[in-house]
Amino acid sequence: MKKNFFLFALVAGLAWACEPTPDNMKLLDQLVVQTHYDTEVNFTDYATYSISTDTIGFISNANPNDTILTEHDTPGYPRPVLNQVATNLNKVGYTRVEKNANPDLGINVYVVNDYNLFQQVVYPSYYYPSYYGYYGSYYNYPYVNTYAQNTGALVVEIVDLKNIGADKKVRVLWTAYMGDVYSTINLVQQSVDAIDQAFHQSPYIGR
Amino acid sequence: MKKIAIIIALACGCGLVQAQENYFFVNWDVNTPMTNTNWIGSTSTRGIRGGYRAVFGSQRQFSAGLDMSWATFSEYKPTETFQQQAGAITTDYFNYIYQLSFAASGQYYFHKSTNERFFSYVGMGLGANQNKYTVFYNIYKDQHSAWGFLARPEAGILLRISTRKRIGLMAAVHYDYSTNKSNDYNYSSFSAVGVSVGIMSMQW
Repeated sequence: MKKNFFLFALVAGLAWACEPTPDNMKLLDQLVVQTHYDTEVNFTDYATYSISTDTIGFISNANPNDTILTEHDTPGYPRPVLNQVATNLNKVGYTRVEKNANPDLGINVYVVNDYNLFQQVVYPSYYYPSYYGYYGSYYNYPYVNTYAQNTGALVVEIVDLKNIGADKKVRVLWTAYMGDVYSTINLVQQSVDAIDQAFHQSPYIGR
Repeated sequence: MKKIAIIIALACGCGLVQAQENYFFVNWDVNTPMTNTNWIGSTSTRGIRGGYRAVFGSQRQFSAGLDMSWATFSEYKPTETFQQQAGAITTDYFNYIYQLSFAASGQYYFHKSTNERFFSYVGMGLGANQNKYTVFYNIYKDQHSAWGFLARPEAGILLRISTRKRIGLMAAVHYDYSTNKSNDYNYSSFSAVGVSVGIMSMQW
């Protein structure tokens, strides 16, 4: 009896102490914002930009047929995101122009969706064939756990349309990755805040 | 390091199981880091210690045994921007250390032989510990695991509930020093002060 009590206390204690993880609400209430830029570029050399009004790109390995997210299909997301990018660009001195007005900068906004399936073979820790006999061992076969993880990042790119090379390739001057957009508390607000932060931590952008 | 810890544990265990008088214990363990407190400085209340000690000497002055403990240290870090070579990253995050330790330990008891209920002791444990240094940010996680040598001086008391019962209470204060470090997180040797309280079962 006493032995069982100690064993129970030990197991309960280990289970309680065993690799707890942080509170999800606190982990997911803001996106991670990572920015990267071309250090050889002088952003003051550019004056105008062009950006879509209600469509953002969508790259997914779960559904290769989905290539764009429109305001019509996903109401309430593309437009606030695009507006916030434009607001920040205007704030640092760039002027928005139509796509056919020869803009210096092109703005790409898209979501990358990475859908992964994981499989894990589970081998039971305890195996007592002599106690349970032949039939008991049936319950001890390894089994397979399958689970899915759906992750995604909102990506904003500034590309150089002023200096397109002879091979028609454009250079990406600045990229912001903001994630994860599939595990959020408030997707739109967190995306808007993340865009503000991306520009805030990139003071070299502007005229 | 892991192999050394297992060999020490087995060697000590084989010699001790034959001892007639012994006790084993399960304790709740509270620890406060003393070094690298900018990484984690918060007190951890998520800890557990268990162990077995064989008692020697005509007046039960000595014991030797094995301790195992598990603790989780954690601390929330508010939003911060880290500058990189050609950019920056901004996030809030949690630093965690998952710690597992094994120690072979010896104790000296200050009690008088006429008092069979109260025992005070000082001791020293030597062994190894594993720290899993973990950073959680949003859905992402980075982790680096490392083993180190562990030294653990300790002082404590044992209180037998009654002379007719084999169950008792235990309390101890210990200082853990470990060579465990992580270059990834610029974390040098680990040390912490801990207080543990719990129950024990005495076999005499």
